[in-house]
Amino acid sequence: MAGDVVLGFDGSAGAQSALGVAVTLARALGAPLAIVFGYEPNPMGGETSDFQNQLKRLGEGFVHAAATEARRLDRDVIVEPIVVGRRPVDALLETATERAARLIVVGSMGELPIVGAILGSVPHKLLHRSRIPVLVVPRPD
Amino acid sequence: MAAVTGLVGGDAPALDAAPGKGLKSGALGLVSSVVIGVASTAPAYSLAASLGLVTAAVGLLAPSVMVLAFIPMLFIASAYFYLNRVDPDCGTTFTWVTRAIGPKTGWMAGWGILITDLVVMPSLAQIAGQYTFLLFGANGLANNRFWVGVLGVIWIVVMTAICVIGIELSARTQVGLLGAEIVILAIFAAVALAKVYGSHVARSIHPGWGWLDPFHISSTGALAGAILTAVFIYWGWDTAVTVNEEAKDTKRTPGVAAVLSTLVLVGIYVIVSIAAQAFHGANFLTNNSNDVLGALSRDVFGSGWDKFLVLAVLTSASASTQTTILPAARSALSMSVHKAIPERFGTVHPRYLTPAYATTWFGVFSVVWFVGLSLISNEVLLDSILALGFGIAFYYAMTGYACVIYYRRLLFRNLKNLLFVGLAPLVGALILTWAFLDSIFVYSNPANAAGSQTWFRFIKFNVHVAGIHFYANGLGPPLLIGLGLLVVGLPLMLVWMIRHREFFRHTASHAESLHAAAPPLTPGVSAVTG
Repeated sequence: MAGDVVLGFDGSAGAQSALGVAVTLARALGAPLAIVFGYEPNPMGGETSDFQNQLKRLGEGFVHAAATEARRLDRDVIVEPIVVGRRPVDALLETATERAARLIVVGSMGELPIVGAILGSVPHKLLHRSRIPVLVVPRPD
Repeated sequence: MAAVTGLVGGDAPALDAAPGKGLKSGALGLVSSVVIGVASTAPAYSLAASLGLVTAAVGLLAPSVMVLAFIPMLFIASAYFYLNRVDPDCGTTFTWVTRAIGPKTGWMAGWGILITDLVVMPSLAQIAGQYTFLLFGANGLANNRFWVGVLGVIWIVVMTAICVIGIELSARTQVGLLGAEIVILAIFAAVALAKVYGSHVARSIHPGWGWLDPFHISSTGALAGAILTAVFIYWGWDTAVTVNEEAKDTKRTPGVAAVLSTLVLVGIYVIVSIAAQAFHGANFLTNNSNDVLGALSRDVFGSGWDKFLVLAVLTSASASTQTTILPAARSALSMSVHKAIPERFGTVHPRYLTPAYATTWFGVFSVVWFVGLSLISNEVLLDSILALGFGIAFYYAMTGYACVIYYRRLLFRNLKNLLFVGLAPLVGALILTWAFLDSIFVYSNPANAAGSQTWFRFIKFNVHVAGIHFYANGLGPPLLIGLGLLVVGLPLMLVWMIRHREFFRHTASHAESLHAAAPPLTPGVSAVTG
């Protein structure tokens, strides 16, 4: 399973664009495609289990839809949907390490840098923390 | 944070790597556990909101109440610990009571959580509004009801938006903010005491051991009222106990974290209350109950430095607002998942990944409640804190009873079970039940609510039955708010029962093991664990 292309997918427009690019790259590299959704509730505010289950369900919906779409785009690419109960960036980095991935692909929200700084920007954090190449795909206009 | 070792297991079915019930991946260290527990309790805000009310009830014996009120808290925390262990559900008391006693009682317990979270919001908004004005030296505006109200509404809206969007402070920032809060409170107490002993401060008193002796409290009514108020200051501490279950080293961390956060909290409350009343006497605190720390800070620190304490109250209030909105939304989400309230409340926003619908509605209700209360009550803070005591006592007591009932078959297996699973929760629940009932009679006399407002003046009686004195002369706002909102839950539950039977088909069950995870709560199935 080494050499995966890891795609971060959260259902946003940017993630949809990234999906197309990731499928093309996986095909070109002959690599499996791991489609990852990460979530982790704010630990402030106590117990979270029902909430986590809801998040997990939402994430499963996202990655399964993305996997179906990826197989439709190219049925030769091996696709694996993955939901990880960790913050998105940690989920991507952990999956990438686990699979000795060649590349992480994410979509950008196309928001102002200040908005990203306040809301927390996954591409931004990834670029700083990842030890492997990160490809950021803009959302369509 | 940088550790990236495998939580996602290689070829194993990766979807199972996500945490299911009771299987947490978000491991918390010791420091984080303590920080979350103490920050949720919000010491600076709690003192700002309630110190004057405790001295109003018991005068110089306030420090003794700070210690005394911790006892039921500690006992109930034991119930939280054992119930959470087998059923770590974010519905907490709602789910546990449904399991142990039944769906109707469980529904009311869930309602109790929601309205208690709602009732604290005006107090948070009020404190946030006042102390923001104090921070900028606008002391006149800090006493202006209208402008404090405006700022308070903005506060609720902003904090709700933060929770909807899911903005989080990093763990390090939280540790920093909480550390600053505690250090500032400690410096405040030290400077106040140094001045009391060192220089001549008007109306200052030297502290005495008698301040810690609860047996000097004059009447049981005053004691009940004071406990109900002081229970509020420890409210949120249970979070430290429950999130600890997720700790990295589950054998050691939970216990150590609970002990540490306890020492920090009881220490702060006792020392600050001693220092505060030593500085200007108890009456000063009672008379300035609205902005007790702001007023004291000006005299203790002098102009300029006093802003640090004001800032500590504000960061504390923001943490407290967050740890009110988040669990309220999660309780609603849990109730919705179990079909006890409409389905929409259980939805998660696809972009923000928060229970945005439940959170938004909680914000809307909070604004409506805050504005409404500001219009009709002269003492928003006072009435809210006292009313809050009823709500907390109600659902904490329910938690205690649920623990004893749920584990009834295990209590006599060994001494540890008997003490920690049986006796402690039961005694805690009984103390809170007593404080709840006794306070009804205390606050049905509006003279005991310092606001002295009276609603429903036609309700008047004065009878002695079996040696107990029952009286009412109109009703004070705290009682009406506290009990009234609880009672409103009954018709709402009935309406829901008629329309949606499913939740009410749950049947009570009991545990056969202290360790095995409880089976999912399924309607119509009387599941027994173990």
